Amino acid sequence: MQRSFERPQTLEQAIGLLEKHGDAARPLAGGTDLLVQMRAGLLRPAVLVDLKGIEELMSLELGADEVVIGAAHSTASLRENADLVALFPGLLEAAELIGSEQIQGRASLGGNLCNGSPAADTGPALAVVQAVCEIAGPNGRRTLPVAEFLTGPGATALGVGEILVSLRISRPPARAADAYLRFIPRTEMDIAVVGAGAWVRLEADGSCAEARLSLGAVGPTVLPVALDALVGGPIDDAALATAGEAASAAARPIDDKRGTIAYRRQVSGVLARRALRIAADRAAQRS
Amino acid sequence: MTAVVIPNGLRAHCEGCARVEVEAVSVRGVLAALEARFPGFGAALGENVAVAIDGEVFQDPLYEAVAPESELHFLPALSGGR
Amino acid sequence: MAEDRKYRWVGTRPIRHDGVDKVTGRANYGADFALPGMLWGKILRSPHAHARILRIDTSRAEAMEGVKAVATAADLPEQRPGGATDLSNNILARDKVLYHGHAVAAVAAITAEIAAQALDEIEIEYEALAPVLSLDAALADDAPILDTARRARGMDDTGPTNIAARVDFSRGEPDQAFASCDVVLERSYETQTVHQGYIEPHACVADTKADGLVEIWCSTQGTFTVRSLTADVLGLDKSRVKVTPSEIGGGFGGKTTVYLEPVAALLSRQSGRPVKMVMSRDEVFRATGPAAASRIELKVGATQQGQLVAATARLWMEAGAFPGSPVQAAAMTILAPYKLDHLFIEGFDVVVTKPKVAAYRAPGAPQAAFAMESLLDELAQQLKIDPIDLRLANAVAAGDQLPYGPRYKTIGMKETLEAARDHPHYSAPLGENQGRGIALGFWFNNGLNSSAEVYLTEDGTAVVVTGNPDIGGSRASMAILCAEELGIDVMKVRPIVADTETAGYTDVTGGSRVTFATGWAVVNACRVIIEDLRRRAAQIWECDLEQVAFDDGRCLPVEGSGLSHDPLSVAEIARKMGSTGGPINGQAQLSARGAGPGFATHLCDVEVDPETGHVDVIRYTAIQDAGRAIHPAYVEGQMQGGAVQGIGWALNEEYLFDDEGRMENASFLDYRMPVASDLPMIDTVIVEVPNPIHPYGVRGVGETPIVPPLAAVANAVKHASGVRMQSLPISPPRLLAALQEQAAE
Ligand SMILES: Cc1cc2nc3c(=O)[nH]c(=O)nc-3n(C[C@H](O)[C@H](O)[C@H](O)COP(=O)(O)OP(=O)(O)OC[C@H]3O[C@@H](n4cnc5c(N)ncnc54)[C@H](O)[C@@H]3O)c2cc1C
Repeated sequence: MQRSFERPQTLEQAIGLLEKHGDAARPLAGGTDLLVQMRAGLLRPAVLVDLKGIEELMSLELGADEVVIGAAHSTASLRENADLVALFPGLLEAAELIGSEQIQGRASLGGNLCNGSPAADTGPALAVVQAVCEIAGPNGRRTLPVAEFLTGPGATALGVGEILVSLRISRPPARAADAYLRFIPRTEMDIAVVGAGAWVRLEADGSCAEARLSLGAVGPTVLPVALDALVGGPIDDAALATAGEAASAAARPIDDKRGTIAYRRQVSGVLARRALRIAADRAAQRS
Repeated sequence: MTAVVIPNGLRAHCEGCARVEVEAVSVRGVLAALEARFPGFGAALGENVAVAIDGEVFQDPLYEAVAPESELHFLPALSGGR
Repeated sequence: MAEDRKYRWVGTRPIRHDGVDKVTGRANYGADFALPGMLWGKILRSPHAHARILRIDTSRAEAMEGVKAVATAADLPEQRPGGATDLSNNILARDKVLYHGHAVAAVAAITAEIAAQALDEIEIEYEALAPVLSLDAALADDAPILDTARRARGMDDTGPTNIAARVDFSRGEPDQAFASCDVVLERSYETQTVHQGYIEPHACVADTKADGLVEIWCSTQGTFTVRSLTADVLGLDKSRVKVTPSEIGGGFGGKTTVYLEPVAALLSRQSGRPVKMVMSRDEVFRATGPAAASRIELKVGATQQGQLVAATARLWMEAGAFPGSPVQAAAMTILAPYKLDHLFIEGFDVVVTKPKVAAYRAPGAPQAAFAMESLLDELAQQLKIDPIDLRLANAVAAGDQLPYGPRYKTIGMKETLEAARDHPHYSAPLGENQGRGIALGFWFNNGLNSSAEVYLTEDGTAVVVTGNPDIGGSRASMAILCAEELGIDVMKVRPIVADTETAGYTDVTGGSRVTFATGWAVVNACRVIIEDLRRRAAQIWECDLEQVAFDDGRCLPVEGSGLSHDPLSVAEIARKMGSTGGPINGQAQLSARGAGPGFATHLCDVEVDPETGHVDVIRYTAIQDAGRAIHPAYVEGQMQGGAVQGIGWALNEEYLFDDEGRMENASFLDYRMPVASDLPMIDTVIVEVPNPIHPYGVRGVGETPIVPPLAAVANAVKHASGVRMQSLPISPPRLLAALQEQAAE
């Protein structure tokens, strides 16, 4: 099998290469998933299409209404943008959890999503801020909410020749903020046993206007948890307990070497409560 | 006479004795004396025997000296002990 | 005898002589070596945990282009009874495979990729047998027997059994003594299979010459061990094998045996070319020595005042596929630190279908101490006695007899306990969900055989040659000892680790013996040189040898000798070597006796998350008697490393197997060793109770520090959460389940 490495400078060239080689080709961003899988013998792509030469995938724009993050932009340099961190502390918490310092020098949000792992850290964090995936392919461009982009373990909505270009996120309204927590037995270099992204918007009087919660690692893909019961009331211990129970009930985990069903259910509730608490506190500070 | 303390697992091979006194100047002599008194004892002891003589452990003890007032303990050979 | 004098270098912290190479990335490790024309070797491993090998067909692999050799056990000589049978069967399975990942065949090819493809072309027919994956499974009446010909050593004929050996130690009448005790605790403890987790996988290059001479370059803790075992497996004279060590990226006991070297030598013989083999992390986990899983039933009786009276212990340890768990060492250590007039200890070595265990720092002792130190913590709590006071009240001292016979000489057990009690850590306040645990550890330490050569250069600097791969900074310690003896600058000493044909015979880097025993040989070799220097000074001054003293790097007239020469430095005499008798070299060898046992007391604070069962170690202090710390930084490094490995063992590390016996977590992602961010700085306190027999009072320090942490952590978890975990690891799901059970009661 002939292996080749391509580094196109435009989206069109990249899409052309992917279309031409079909299953034999793979897009490469940071490679922190892809290269590991290749070394383990799980994948043997004949053509690697490096996306890091394409400007749009490497960009970061903080617009008046919207933030656009290039899909191949490294998470380490996202973290260095203080304005971005201030806007979406939860999303950056998730990005900061990926691997280690070294891994983050390469890892991208696009790679994290396109790899399709149910335990990927940025999935729940992107879902609760209602990020939208900008996709380019042989038939032009389209957009999809993150929750629809992720379709199952290892699977995404991308068709043949399609590339995730960027993630678009609306600037948060007043009194709204996000948070992300994950549980691992260690402090880093581990895969989420449970991940919980939370987003809260408060009314001026401090009561809950809107609350969103998404769980990772406890279902085939990111699991949204409905929190309608919280709206209109204060975000107090009772409300959080209700949310925790809803999270435990929504979780659909499996038993594996990283955790049992019972354990993951339990921890889903704990993290849900804690992440919502942090998001609510942050939202309150933005009043 | 040098005192030899016999571990439980070997007592069946020396008529149940827990402690035997022998006349010897080296560990080799101790073994010979035990074998003379209890034929088959040496075979039961096996090849890689370690001993403690007056508190000091010897992994390869055949030619070590023993005194009349010495006390010698057999230790099953250490394995995996590195 | 340990001398009490002021030292110039001993106890200082010079940078390590191998440090620059390491921090600049230039040091060569096992996988860095290469030879022209070299082939790549790969091993085909068993997909079954337990199976009979019915047929092996290598013809398709042999026919592949680029494949230069294919080897199976049929290419190895039969071993004589009592020979290296188990080792030979472990490196290439003969009739049966005994664990998932057991080597069955090997290929050498011109590239690693071709070698890997060739493995797929080897056809093996197996008859799968039921795996045996736990002590319970191995000991069950109807258990599948790994080796039906084997009988248990140390037991009356049992018939076919998975018990490979039994040992026992006894004193007094424990059963009667229990009746007189005010309190008797009887508990059972379990630990799981864990790995040493060295960063560097096993790697070697072997070159078998046309005349049958074998040269090996590899990463090992014992070059002479590799020489000996490789020669045994291949049926060669030991002088036909030469082993050159690389730098070593960790071993912790796991690199004291061979896996690849004889296979690479065999493939090299068949192909006529050098062969390189490097394990993947997956292979390291599946097929190299883990540490034994254990079960210990322990019963201890005491008076109301906290005097220990009697104890019995029954220990079972998994040896893996072949006999040789460290159960005997566990049995010897479990009650060793405490005065007990009545005791009975019984240990069983049990084979299971898992990789054969290898040594791991103080083999057997961490599991044993987990049981004893947990039980004593519970006893202290029940008797309302401070846990350190309880241990002090029962601590052994010089003259006390060990359960297996010998008597203690000078030891530092009480000193480490007192240092712990007096340390600010012990009385520091704790917050909510926090708890503090203490535990003690004992390890024998070893002496064994060492050689050393010291060569003086013509400008009076020195080269120190030993045969111990430097795994923990020992080169720096050898240089310090040489500098201290000869009175020269420590950075002017060049310590090297030589191959098996350059260094004299030296036992493995293990058993905490290198600074103690090889260091002692270096001291003796330096003393040979000092004698020679005095002789030369006498020659120069035309006086008697007795009139020349040596002090701090200079020969000088003995006081009262009436001579009035200016002192002659080592360098001055070295410059005159040609005119005073030729080169100045010292050599020494010894079988080191009197390795004083090591004791350590550890203090551990944890915070438990009651909702997730997560345990955070928030403060840790390791206190240990080092005899005398030659290079304190590397003593502290040993103490910290041992503590960290023990914490990992306590909290998250364990092999997970599926029902078929396949390891499910053969990677550092899922085999969860602690990472740096998991831990606080491990504080250290070096206690120095010099070992009276050693010229510098040294005791081994490398193994003792892994003994206390298992119980220190478990005891801390108990005091933080109320739950006493008698089965390791205390992973979050297990602790949460235990917390919920406690809440339900
Ligand atoms: C040591 C280590 C620790 C890790 N820890 C974590 C962790 O804590 N949490 C976590 O979530 N992940 C973790 N990961 C996984 C990985 O680092 C992340 O998923 C990372 O975000 C992947 O990004 P990447 O740019 O490296 O992706 P790549 O490896 O380059 O790509 C991943 C996959 O996505 C495809 N792809 C990439 N970009 C695009 C695109 N723009 N369009 C279409 N397809 C694309 C690739 O073809 C490939 O299939 C870890 C990995 C390692 C090696």
